[in-house]
Amino acid sequence: MKRNLTTIALLLAAAGFTACEDTIDIDIPKGKTYTVVDAWITDVPGKQDIRLTQSVPYTSQGAAPVISDAKVTLTDVTGNKTFAFTFANGVYSHDPGAGQKIGEIGHVYKLRIELKEGVFEAQDTLKRVPVIDSIAADFKTKEEAVSGEEGFFARFYAKDLVGATDWYWVRSYRNNLQTRVEDIFTIDGSYAEDVADGKDFIQPISEGITDYGKPFLEGEKVIVRLSSVTKRSHAFLEQVQQQIDNGGLFAKILENVPTNVLNTDKNSQGRVLGWFGTSAVSYKEKTMQK
Amino acid sequence: MLPVPCIRPHYKLKTNMKSTARLLTSLLLILIATASSAQQRFTISGYVKDENSGETLIGISIGKPGTSTGTVSNEYGFYSLTLPAGKHDIQFSYIGYQPQKFTIDLTANKRLDIKLGKSDRQLNEVVISGKQQEKNINTLNTSMNKLDIAEIRKLPTFMGEVDVIRTIQTLPGVNTVGEGAASFNVRGGNGDENLILMDEAPVYNSTHMLGFFSVFNPDAVKNINLIKGGFPAEYGGRTASVLDIRMKDGNNQKFAMTGGIGNIFSRLAVEGPLQKDKSSFIIAGRRSYMDVLMKPFLKGDMKDTKLYFYDLTAKVNFQLNKNNSLFVSGYFGRDVFGFGKEANMNWGNNTASLRWNHIFNNRLFMNLTTYYTKYDYSLKFLSNEKSTTSQEFSWTSNIINYGVKPSFTYYLNSNNTLHFGAQGTYYTFKPGNTLSRQDADETRIVLKDKNALEGALYLDHEWKAGNKFGVQYGVRLSGFQYRGKGTAYYYADTTAGIRKRFIGTKDYENGKTIADYYFLEPRLSARYAINSTSSVKAAFSRSAQYMHQLSNTASPTPVDIWTPVSNNVKPQLTDQVTAGYFYNAPGDKFELSAEVFYKKMQDQLDFIDNADLDLNEFIEGDLLASKGRAYGLELYVKKDIGATTGWISYTLSRSERKTPGLSLNEWFINRYDRTHNLNIVASHEFTKRASMSANWMFASGTPATFADSRLEFQDWDIPYNTTEKRNNYRLKPFHRLDLSFTYKGKQLKRWKGEWVFSLYNVYARRNAYTVYFRQNPDDPSKKEAVRLSIIGSIIPGITYNFKF
Repeated sequence: MKRNLTTIALLLAAAGFTACEDTIDIDIPKGKTYTVVDAWITDVPGKQDIRLTQSVPYTSQGAAPVISDAKVTLTDVTGNKTFAFTFANGVYSHDPGAGQKIGEIGHVYKLRIELKEGVFEAQDTLKRVPVIDSIAADFKTKEEAVSGEEGFFARFYAKDLVGATDWYWVRSYRNNLQTRVEDIFTIDGSYAEDVADGKDFIQPISEGITDYGKPFLEGEKVIVRLSSVTKRSHAFLEQVQQQIDNGGLFAKILENVPTNVLNTDKNSQGRVLGWFGTSAVSYKEKTMQK
Repeated sequence: MLPVPCIRPHYKLKTNMKSTARLLTSLLLILIATASSAQQRFTISGYVKDENSGETLIGISIGKPGTSTGTVSNEYGFYSLTLPAGKHDIQFSYIGYQPQKFTIDLTANKRLDIKLGKSDRQLNEVVISGKQQEKNINTLNTSMNKLDIAEIRKLPTFMGEVDVIRTIQTLPGVNTVGEGAASFNVRGGNGDENLILMDEAPVYNSTHMLGFFSVFNPDAVKNINLIKGGFPAEYGGRTASVLDIRMKDGNNQKFAMTGGIGNIFSRLAVEGPLQKDKSSFIIAGRRSYMDVLMKPFLKGDMKDTKLYFYDLTAKVNFQLNKNNSLFVSGYFGRDVFGFGKEANMNWGNNTASLRWNHIFNNRLFMNLTTYYTKYDYSLKFLSNEKSTTSQEFSWTSNIINYGVKPSFTYYLNSNNTLHFGAQGTYYTFKPGNTLSRQDADETRIVLKDKNALEGALYLDHEWKAGNKFGVQYGVRLSGFQYRGKGTAYYYADTTAGIRKRFIGTKDYENGKTIADYYFLEPRLSARYAINSTSSVKAAFSRSAQYMHQLSNTASPTPVDIWTPVSNNVKPQLTDQVTAGYFYNAPGDKFELSAEVFYKKMQDQLDFIDNADLDLNEFIEGDLLASKGRAYGLELYVKKDIGATTGWISYTLSRSERKTPGLSLNEWFINRYDRTHNLNIVASHEFTKRASMSANWMFASGTPATFADSRLEFQDWDIPYNTTEKRNNYRLKPFHRLDLSFTYKGKQLKRWKGEWVFSLYNVYARRNAYTVYFRQNPDDPSKKEAVRLSIIGSIIPGITYNFKF
């Protein structure tokens, strides 16, 4: 992320030249197919979902095929409770009942997935999260905005929790939770350990919730989700972001993201990809008005 | 090839040393025998200078016409030639200069300082005849390209600007990962393996504007020399190439001003005598003004955009007396980029060198260089003034070298020359200091400083055994001490390719050795003249490198730091063999060369997947050691004289590496590999006032790692390469045509002006720099492969150059 800041700035500098991008067709043989685990458990009350799909060729359009015949269970290791996730409507889910929640702060969770390839397990700890105090938004004209796009530029305010290092994942949405806008990963509301404990989230992070190329319009709603993550998940998410935003003059070599969902039989060749994470989350939203 | 593991360098050193010492002793005995058995001999020596400017001339041939007896003036314009007593015809000649012929009756040692006058074009064709000692068929060195600034100026320019680094990229064996790459690659070597010297001081970042312009101001450059293999023992510390750039001394005859006004930047150089014939100065500066030109079009938050670079080169020299000269040179360059107060960054090199030339006697020449060089960058982010809390984040880093290099040349006789000397460099590294501040509350992260000492002793002997055979052999003993005050980090051995587990640290006191390495680097090149127009040459060289640049992008960024070898990082060792055939057409109508090379590299650096290179105290846990190999064929034809001049270079090569933990532990092709690389450079003088030049290059696309799959995860589509092989595809071939047209105005006695019109990328080719994979920003359900071209259109340029 530190790198991203500088890269963004340097890229802008380079853009002064005539750098141009266009979409091209590339002919790549179809890769191997893996099962992809998309499991992120939160402390939000109600139903929790886990998705198992297949990896597909990169430029294939449409959703990836769903795997429907797996056996998925989640164990609250700390609370000594097991939740069975059952398949319906493309996802594996468990509903603890209205007002009830699966995720508890400080608890350790273990995911177990039984597949044709073998039995896989992963573990994560659900960490604490602060509240989002408020969201502000400034209207900027085309002339005023850095990006030259007119609209509302939003900023959220939150304060890191005092003591211990906290890792967070900030995701912003436009109007609803199906329309993702930006993702930001932060340590104590800053970019490094041991520099910002208990402080306000720094400006580049708090202002990062707007897509500068497509700011919010009047009447649109920004939703900010702040999730706690473990250090391991934070590193994974940063790697994901690196691979997703890997364009530009300083593009790195494409590197595969790791997985924490491992075969219980160490001698087996069976592998799955994806990640299991747990988060406590806070939400805040604001509708744009002049 | 000689395998040299550096795990036990001391042991290897001993065995190496014994055999090398034996070889050296026997050769020296022969040498002394030849020198002493000779009849009575006398020496003529002196400096060769330009008649009009007083600039010393490098690489002038001094010899007896029609024979191979002769020598070449050195980097300081000094020559020494020992001949039997008696009458000799001696000719001083150089391309573009009127040759001078003397008949000398040698009865004693003689000092002969010569001034050569420039010849005009028509004369050129007649002038170049007879033996030229500096011609490629006659020199002992292989794999060397010399260019003087007049040749560089003939090339088509990028936005009207003459550029040193762009010029060398047209030579065989040199390529880049693409337009805008901040480094170049020589014979399959990495970008950090080039030793770039400006008046003998190393330069860490050779480009401005992220790779578009080189940091060397052409108005101040005299001469460049690129060595790609068969390195003389004098050079070391980098393994792929030496780019030796010499700056002008300044006109010691009269004041002169040169400059240019272009659409990207303007240049001005002032030079003149401080005391006629004795001392002179030159000051040359440049500044780009893209930001100034952009300003009227910028509004709002963009109004305060800063985007420019500048550099200043200054040099003074004093000829103290016949035998002593002093040179002081300095360089200061900076790239600046920012938005108002909120985001600011800048980076650049500073160098200073002081050199003393001393002539002990007519056969022993010394140059003593002391230098200082620094590369640093600074990034600063401030919160908006309107913001309720005041926040700041800043990050600085630098590397500083202090060096001393006494070097001696002993001209024993016309067939034997000895070069020997020592080199010492003290390094300090500040890998990263950051400050985070919120209101009055400050936190700092300071990566620990690193210190190191590098030293070398070298000796080599140039020996012309008769007219046919010549050899230059030598040895360089180099050593590196990674020393306190500092901290050593220790890691547990783990599976290759994953982050090494940190065990602990140990602090070392000032001067204490944390790790040290020594290598004996043998160097050898030999020439055999087949006849008066052709020769064959072969060379072997071993070189060690004790510094690495940490960069995992296609081309280094200004914030990629340099790091010394340590208890965890081994020096890189490269062995290279090269052989070539050289031909000079009768009458020097053109010259031709064909060379092959094979290189074996040990302990090149690589990185684990998802390595964290920024401000990471435990960076060494993310580093991997690779084996590398590169081989290729280089063809080169060059025509220096006539109305049409230029060269064609073609390289067929391969560069690979094998890194445990990457790409299934198999050999993979380097990111900078290009199978074919063709450059055609031509310029034609229509009249004395109008000329045109063209450059066409074609190169195979660079390899890239492509995603064959995507993983759906949390509303993202993550690109994934299930083959797990690095650089599994190649980008489309790169090709580009550039043209430029120069029209000289009336060449008045006082004022000489010329217009340069240039077209870069004439047929607007979109050469891919990278291909990456993304979800369409407007429609995230669409996944696409995107080609990034740094230059996607034709770029015109106009520059007006003047001289008075």
